[in-house]
Amino acid sequence: MILDLHNHSIRSDDGKAKVENYCQWIRKRELGIDGFVLTEHRQFDSESDYRKLEDESGLLILKGSEVETNYGHVLVFGVNEDLQAAFDFARIDLPLEQVLRESERCGAVAVPCHPGRATVGMCAHIETLGPVPGVGIVETLNGGSRSGENEAAEALAERYGYRGVGGSDAHIVSHIGRCATRFEQDIGSMDELVAALREGDFEAVACPST
Amino acid sequence: MPVDVAKLKQDWTGFEFDRVEFDVTAEELVEFATTVGERQGRFIDPADAEFQAVPNFTTKYHGRRMWPEEFPRLSSKSAGFDGGKAVEVHGPIRSGDRLVAKSHIHDIFEKTGRSGSMVFIVHRMEFSNQREELVSVVDWRFIQKPDAE
Repeated sequence: MILDLHNHSIRSDDGKAKVENYCQWIRKRELGIDGFVLTEHRQFDSESDYRKLEDESGLLILKGSEVETNYGHVLVFGVNEDLQAAFDFARIDLPLEQVLRESERCGAVAVPCHPGRATVGMCAHIETLGPVPGVGIVETLNGGSRSGENEAAEALAERYGYRGVGGSDAHIVSHIGRCATRFEQDIGSMDELVAALREGDFEAVACPST
Repeated sequence: MPVDVAKLKQDWTGFEFDRVEFDVTAEELVEFATTVGERQGRFIDPADAEFQAVPNFTTKYHGRRMWPEEFPRLSSKSAGFDGGKAVEVHGPIRSGDRLVAKSHIHDIFEKTGRSGSMVFIVHRMEFSNQREELVSVVDWRFIQKPDAE
């Protein structure tokens, strides 16, 4: 099963894509992904219900978040009420250790994303602040990366023994499906995605095709 | 000093700080529509029964003030830069309409990007016509990079 783990809809301040248009694009272009996760910036969308869209499109649509920490941006999968109460998702200076610790406590998984990116990636901070205990997964393939950024992410993962996931970081419709994550098992819910991430049986894939 | 965005938002959002009126003419509707490349008759032909403004027409208007009086400047080095405009269309704007545009700061938020942290200030202009019908809402994002600590 292949899921694109990093995308933004119009609910993000810089997102230009409606979720239904992502679905249309994936089906029209016959992209090789089975679903995607919406990771809106500095928030968790607890309102939108995409079940009807899932039924119509045959795609799995899950919701996570992208928060901002002192080590850069971090994807969070498995957001629940406990986690939303644990820290303020809107802040741009969350301590990464806190995000990791609280995610673990609340049954979620935190994944530093685009770590090779200047300022908002983990690589830029790990040299000065040091490695952070509790990181197990980083986003090694990001569809919005500039030249060299994914390579830096790969090098970081190799150096510290992190597992890698992939996500498109799409903000417009045509960017979805550029990068994704292949899982060995079927996934039908956020709980199952979190379990699969913890299990570790996955790999980042670029531009999967049917 | 780092910017306390929560306080900034609490202190400065939600109150009207400017109100301006505009009289809409057929000439300016046609001029704007043709400038943005529109070719449909209802946007460029005053004789068309449905003649009206293109959806983004209200982006051409500015109020008398960009910010409320005494709104703090976040950077001593730069006045900031334009983060673009978003338009919501609520009803048609037609030749002969008198629009009233009311301005308030709708939102203030911060984010980090490749170039560091930025504060986004969303200036919202709400346009109503002479029948007090809301016809357009324009959110103008302005970006400031606060001084480093």
